[in-house]
Amino acid sequence: MYRYDAIDREMLADRTAEFREQCGRRLAGELTEDQFKRIRLMNGLYLQLHAYMLRIAIPYGALTGVQLRKLAFIARTYDKGYGHFTTRTNLQLHWIKLKDAPDILDHLAEVGMHAIQTSGNDIRNITADPHAGATADEADDPRIWAEALRQWSTFHPEFSFLPRKFKIAVTASPADRAATKVYDIGLRLHRNPDGELGFEVLVGGGLGRTPYLGPTIRAHLPARHLLSYLQAIMRVYNRHGRRDNLWKARIKVLVASLQAEGFAREVEEEWEKTDKAAVDLPDTELARIRAAFAPRGFETLPATSAAFEAAKADPAFARFARHNVKPHKIPGYAIVDISLKKPGETPGDCSAEQMELIAELGERYSMDEVRVSYEQNLILPHVKLDDVAAVWKALHGAELATPNRGLITDIIACPGLDYCSLANARAIPIAQAIARKFEDPALAEQIGELGIKISGCINACGHHHVGAIGILGVDKKGEEFYQVTLGGSAEAEASLGQILGPALPAARVPTAVDQLVEVYLRERLGGERFLDTFRRVGLAPFKEAVYAGAH
Amino acid sequence: MKALTANRLLDGEAVFLSEGRWVERFADADLFEDDAAALEAEAHAKTQLTVVVDPYLIDVIPSDAGYAPLSFRERVRALGPTNKPEHGKKTEGGEGIEALLHATGAARSKGRVELIRRK
Amino acid sequence: MPVLIRWKDDRAEAAEDPFTAVADEDPIPRGDVIISLQRFQAEGQRLLAEGRKVGVRIEPNEAVEDLARDLPRLSVVALAFPKYQQGQGYSSARILRERFGFGGEVRAVGDVLREQARFMVRCGVDAFEPADGSSPEDWTHVVNRYRHVYQRAADDLAPAYEERQAS
Repeated sequence: MYRYDAIDREMLADRTAEFREQCGRRLAGELTEDQFKRIRLMNGLYLQLHAYMLRIAIPYGALTGVQLRKLAFIARTYDKGYGHFTTRTNLQLHWIKLKDAPDILDHLAEVGMHAIQTSGNDIRNITADPHAGATADEADDPRIWAEALRQWSTFHPEFSFLPRKFKIAVTASPADRAATKVYDIGLRLHRNPDGELGFEVLVGGGLGRTPYLGPTIRAHLPARHLLSYLQAIMRVYNRHGRRDNLWKARIKVLVASLQAEGFAREVEEEWEKTDKAAVDLPDTELARIRAAFAPRGFETLPATSAAFEAAKADPAFARFARHNVKPHKIPGYAIVDISLKKPGETPGDCSAEQMELIAELGERYSMDEVRVSYEQNLILPHVKLDDVAAVWKALHGAELATPNRGLITDIIACPGLDYCSLANARAIPIAQAIARKFEDPALAEQIGELGIKISGCINACGHHHVGAIGILGVDKKGEEFYQVTLGGSAEAEASLGQILGPALPAARVPTAVDQLVEVYLRERLGGERFLDTFRRVGLAPFKEAVYAGAH
Repeated sequence: MKALTANRLLDGEAVFLSEGRWVERFADADLFEDDAAALEAEAHAKTQLTVVVDPYLIDVIPSDAGYAPLSFRERVRALGPTNKPEHGKKTEGGEGIEALLHATGAARSKGRVELIRRK
Repeated sequence: MPVLIRWKDDRAEAAEDPFTAVADEDPIPRGDVIISLQRFQAEGQRLLAEGRKVGVRIEPNEAVEDLARDLPRLSVVALAFPKYQQGQGYSSARILRERFGFGGEVRAVGDVLREQARFMVRCGVDAFEPADGSSPEDWTHVVNRYRHVYQRAADDLAPAYEERQAS
């Protein structure tokens, strides 16, 4: 795990001092709200329906126990005792006071955390595969490159006033757990046939009003040239991206208008002219970052654990083991998913007490590492199989052991109209209602893998376009309606959902999901997931089931 | 019928204008029958740089249980988030809150459309 | 005459602006002028031949590459930021400095605010017409606030990775 050195810490100290001064000027009336808004937005501080919201960056979703404890402390001291993990692996605090914000940033800086570039038209928090360093199928540790990108993108002088926000995700695994196809830049780290490390570079994916899957503009970029190549991409975007229309300002629109080949040509031309050596990190710095993520402390263990197997005699634990425990690259270890999706609760919410417990479990059982996934869950990446039952027991006592990773109740939902000033409709209560309908774990297990993703507006923070069932809140004359899409996926074989039919009133949504599930259970063959069945049989039978009675 | 709302600068709390002061309860808000008076109050609020942020007028309608903001969004602001019964203004209870909780009828309010454009 | 802030030797100072910014519809006055790219392409050679100093204003949608040939004879390139969000000028400034080695004045005009000062200086801008009434003292304060940088740009600051190597 990367620890901030003196330079990183001084960078944060300078930032917090600056923000404290800016807040002071606002409170003294020296800055108007318009002037201050762009300043607070560069520090992740939004004004929402009920209070300010602070979005805290969790670079590549990685936390230590000390950091998570600090988040718990802040949630308890300055908020209502909880926080909300987002699809960007950030933590949002929804009840923040402006006057407390500088103190909060000071607290964060103490543990190497911040809210830098969690808003604004800049390069946002870099996300990565939450299984990094733990999964056997990765070509390299993507966190090394994500950390290099974090530093490079922080206060970038040229790219802090882009046409629009800009998001970068990194994975090194063929199983895409970072949604790289729906990012402004998706980076897929791999080795070519000659064994050389490089990135497949995808540009121009994104959700929102016009969703796109990002095309590949370079199949294999030698890894050492990552920064210079990204500078070229960013420069082409900064110079040619549209600024006349908010809805057409993301890079996806530029890439679509030039076509992937045309955009790639522009980038290559710019890159040719770039003094690469001046931009790319020297090997010494890469080695320094790499060393911070080097595996250490793993024990030599048998591949199986008698204790783990014996604990499965408890059917509740066995179910947890089936859904929330994933194989680890080191024999005798496992990746343990902590679900923040207990049916009836707000997806992604975590109380201060829960954070503290998870921090302790991370320190004690997972080499002091906790991860955040874009599905709004937490992960203990390095748990000994021998310890999984003890971890489960502790999680169970804190309502954190819901055995539903990837199942129908593992719903992604943005904060929606309950908090967000951009939302058109609520997302959380819809998620709560659906999850309650399927809260019987045996039923959820019978249905199998099924991702429901809910957004409260077209900005798509809830990733509805890439939900096997996607639900988008819309406003119809002041009332909440929900448009349903089917067949989306953000994984390796990504796809965008297709619209099922006319939007449904809120009360109809859980029933409609029920009807969709019934069709799936009726039609599915063998071990098909919902997505597989949908791809085979198409929209028609689902549409028929939901709208049959409506005529 | 209109009311004037904003968020308080210091803590972001949703507040309403009541006899020249900013109060937290919608039930205490001044109701403007006269659009000109409402606009004048809004214009004055916009000069209160160190007190409130982004003041704007909302449409208010008589509902079964009393006056309520027309738009659903404004009701959420006046009550607190619906996913957490333990958070927000609704926890204070009382007649005004009950009225809002049970208000029915909604339509797109002008105030709301403006708000969305502004963000 | 608007106050001009010059960035020199790690600090800002107030300066007289010897240039007149000329709108396209106005006649060219005597003395040193800053004119649009279009006007420069039509009248620049004549103005330069008259022995005066000439600057060219580049709008966000214009490419500094179009000036490449003329740069050695230009005294000023004024990058327009009609709104602070229009950040094309940051790229233009770096290209002028790093790619073309332009040694004249690069000036930021328009919605130029102190929050942008540090980014602009790092991209090679060395003269400013602030739109927010900032003083040279304000400018020096915000530009020098940070002790480190993470990436190389058009200034001579050593990025963090070089500082680390040196220590």
